[in-house]
Amino acid sequence: MTENGSGSKSSLLMSFVKMYGTLPLHGITAIPGKISGALMLADAIEDAVPLIHGPVGCAFQRKVNPFKPHSPFYTTPCTNMNDTDVVYGGEEKLEQGIRETYERYHPNLILVITTCPSDLIGDDAEAVTREVSSEVGCDVVYSTGDFVGRSKPVGYQDAFYAITDQMLCNGTDNGDLKRNEGSVNIVTFPIHGAGIKVAEMASVFNDMEIGVNKVCFDHTRVEDLYELPKADLNITDYPMQWAKLMDERSDVGCYEILGWGRYNEEKDPELLSPYGISGSSRVFMEIAEMMGKDGVAEEVIGRRRSDAEERLSKARKGLDGVKIAAIGGLHGVGLNLFKDAGVDVSVLICRTQIMEGRLTDGAINEIVDMNMNLAEICGFDPETLVNPTIEEEIKAIRRSETDLVIAPSTSAHLYNREGVRTFDPTGFMIHHQRVGFECPIELCRMLKAALKTPQRRTPLLSMLQHDSQMHGLTPHWAKLSRAFSLLRADTIGDGLGVEVGDEVGAGVDVELDVEVDADIGRVEGGFDR
Amino acid sequence: MSLIYDPPQDCKLVGAMRAIHGVSDSITIVHARPGCHCGMLLLKALGSNQNDVRVISSGFRAHDTVYGAEGRLSSAIELSQEYFEPGLIAALNCSAPAIMGDDIEGVASAMEEQIPAALMTLATGGYEGPAWLGYEEALVKFTDYMIPVERPSANKVNLIGIKTDDINAAGDLKEIRRLLKDQGIMVNTVLADASFDEIKNAPDASLNVVLGGDGLECAKVMRERFGIPYVMTPYPFGVQKTTEFVELVATRLGREIDSELIDREVELVREGVERVCMFLQGLYDMPVAVIGESGRAFDLAEFLSDELGINVSLLAITGKNHLTSDKMEDGNGYFGDVLIEPDRFEMNNLIKEAGVSVIFGSTFEKHLSSELKAPLIRVSYPVIDEVRITDPPYAGFRGTLHLCETIINAVITENIEEIQE
Repeated sequence: MTENGSGSKSSLLMSFVKMYGTLPLHGITAIPGKISGALMLADAIEDAVPLIHGPVGCAFQRKVNPFKPHSPFYTTPCTNMNDTDVVYGGEEKLEQGIRETYERYHPNLILVITTCPSDLIGDDAEAVTREVSSEVGCDVVYSTGDFVGRSKPVGYQDAFYAITDQMLCNGTDNGDLKRNEGSVNIVTFPIHGAGIKVAEMASVFNDMEIGVNKVCFDHTRVEDLYELPKADLNITDYPMQWAKLMDERSDVGCYEILGWGRYNEEKDPELLSPYGISGSSRVFMEIAEMMGKDGVAEEVIGRRRSDAEERLSKARKGLDGVKIAAIGGLHGVGLNLFKDAGVDVSVLICRTQIMEGRLTDGAINEIVDMNMNLAEICGFDPETLVNPTIEEEIKAIRRSETDLVIAPSTSAHLYNREGVRTFDPTGFMIHHQRVGFECPIELCRMLKAALKTPQRRTPLLSMLQHDSQMHGLTPHWAKLSRAFSLLRADTIGDGLGVEVGDEVGAGVDVELDVEVDADIGRVEGGFDR
Repeated sequence: MSLIYDPPQDCKLVGAMRAIHGVSDSITIVHARPGCHCGMLLLKALGSNQNDVRVISSGFRAHDTVYGAEGRLSSAIELSQEYFEPGLIAALNCSAPAIMGDDIEGVASAMEEQIPAALMTLATGGYEGPAWLGYEEALVKFTDYMIPVERPSANKVNLIGIKTDDINAAGDLKEIRRLLKDQGIMVNTVLADASFDEIKNAPDASLNVVLGGDGLECAKVMRERFGIPYVMTPYPFGVQKTTEFVELVATRLGREIDSELIDREVELVREGVERVCMFLQGLYDMPVAVIGESGRAFDLAEFLSDELGINVSLLAITGKNHLTSDKMEDGNGYFGDVLIEPDRFEMNNLIKEAGVSVIFGSTFEKHLSSELKAPLIRVSYPVIDEVRITDPPYAGFRGTLHLCETIINAVITENIEEIQE
């Protein structure tokens, strides 16, 4: 892959995605409902079709894909529930709807997604799907959003759990499965380019004599899903309920790249830092240990690492002494990647406002501390600013003679107009940041390119007013964000007892964690404004 | 007929929101699970008025389905007042709280004295009807706040049926205002593109002009309550419909038309046509599909057919209004197959069979357009992948030329090599 992707198509794709990456959506001013998450999964399975058991609005409005606003869900048939159905029940419609969906689309899987009306009136989706599934020539699975507790994104988690529970590990054929021994599945959130992002990981596994059974989601079909339980291990980005279920029922272990559960036990910030040379080495070794390949892995990781470090030392030339201002948080460009790149993190900016309505003060402080600890581990001694104004940031940047600010395009102009160059983490995080040894080398190239960008002293965006705390938002959108945050926190007590790991693993707003196209520019750092 | 339905239009919630959001100092509270609020917000944020999104959530959560969420709604009303100081706060009751029986009217009523803004509530459960009914009901609801006027101003009209989030709505409105002003007619209130004070002041007009049939119920209620007559006009696409629009309004006001002005406008259109006459000749008989809401799509299709000589092979009406059946009869001969609120799967198949060269539709026709390698001209709601900040109209005389250039450009800018692939 080239610096800008792999040719013009990738470059356009990156720009395209970035156009929507500035929407302040997930957890900032809104949270997508379960239907969108479930549709995301249905859409990622090439031969699956969703059937929304609800009124037209639940089908039409959800065509707008909050995870990828540039890619609507074009096919969203529904059972067209009306007020009569709300009174008398919609089970007959669902039954007929499943049959018609099969006749119309001939899919290999129908994913029934229930909605508020069908849930509240108590339609028995389970009974209906069980009844009809034998009449149609495909699998039928239903998802209500109730299978996975607080795990988020609920719709996505729930639908995947439903597929595992009702289809892949339902107890009927599990015994006949011929295991693909010594192999793993790599399953990422269904955004574009999953195949590319895990290619290096797969290659390292190959050297470690670990087979890759399936990569999802990359042109995944139902037959691929059926192959998942053949592997020995599921590797996922973050905690997935379906993977835990598959572990219980089919003895397929699970490994989470972002070790939230372990972090909560050990409080080791490096567990949340799976990227870069050391992070990747750790992840590869842990997986190898789980697969019983630690012996061969040691040699492979050492060789790969040494080869990468040699190339990295060349790539780092020109970055010595370069100072950057990084944004702390849970999901930004990892500090250890900056360490690999040989730059110095001179300023660490932590913005917690967006979490304040949803996390306890203790949890927020822990995230700030975690970033500072990680900086220390990486050998940085940055000036840490918590919720600074832009003026305070600029002062610190000037004082420390910082060369480059890691700033998403929502706020880059605020630094540019002051003569400070910026590096947009969005494209890097979506298209480059991954477990593997090539990633820091790519970061070096991109940082050097950013240092050469022309000065932008008069960006038109600077004509606008911006919120003093949430720099990437206009005052109006900042109000919308605060209103959203307050209404959720005030009325539901979201902030009570929510631990750091809950932010991603099971608690509020885990949409922040998944590398969602529309979101990533916003959430870099987890507390990005 | 299939039971399953891939809908071409949304539920009441969106229709109501489109009307209410047209009130420039309103806040819409979506009293629903988070998905409905997120959907509303996205529809707004992906449009061309990103600085003017005024939709908030009541914070409704799953466990509220047990205990009710009236408290949340009152918090949201309080916060809306505090944060935005709006003229109007509208609470839209969606499926979950509606089924649970949340008494949102009761909440609003209990808060009336405490909240300076007007409080409006509307039942918008997804199962309660389609978007166009939500739009109609919201406009009718506005009449509750209108202040009667003893002697309405002469030569002032209200425009009814404008949706600010239609593509080119701002440009169209500007052009319509200009056309009327040239004839000495002023626009009093636009329903709905007005401040709440202007909405209240709507009865200070001598005529309601209902464009394309949208908002007819509101016009009827205003006639009943305030004695304001109304006139139905086409949505002014093209020279003929624009002229008809101006004539109808002027005639109902008892004014004589300034024909010279009209002639001058028509002459400008003629000059424009002359500049691209060969391409326009090339468009003749081109097969197209038009997909859109009743209030605009019929008139657009008729313009394409009658004035540009384009062959409208298929017209799909995604959302009806009270005039739809009349329009179907009137339009006979101008278009081929007419589908009313069709299932998307069936509609797409028919469009594929029709072999069209261009599709006039919404963002949701993008995939079909790409599949057919037929350019998509975005004319219908929702358009969430094209922006307008310079406000060129599609309506009126000026809009006629803009439509012409859009259509010509849509065809000739295509990469023929890609089409041939």
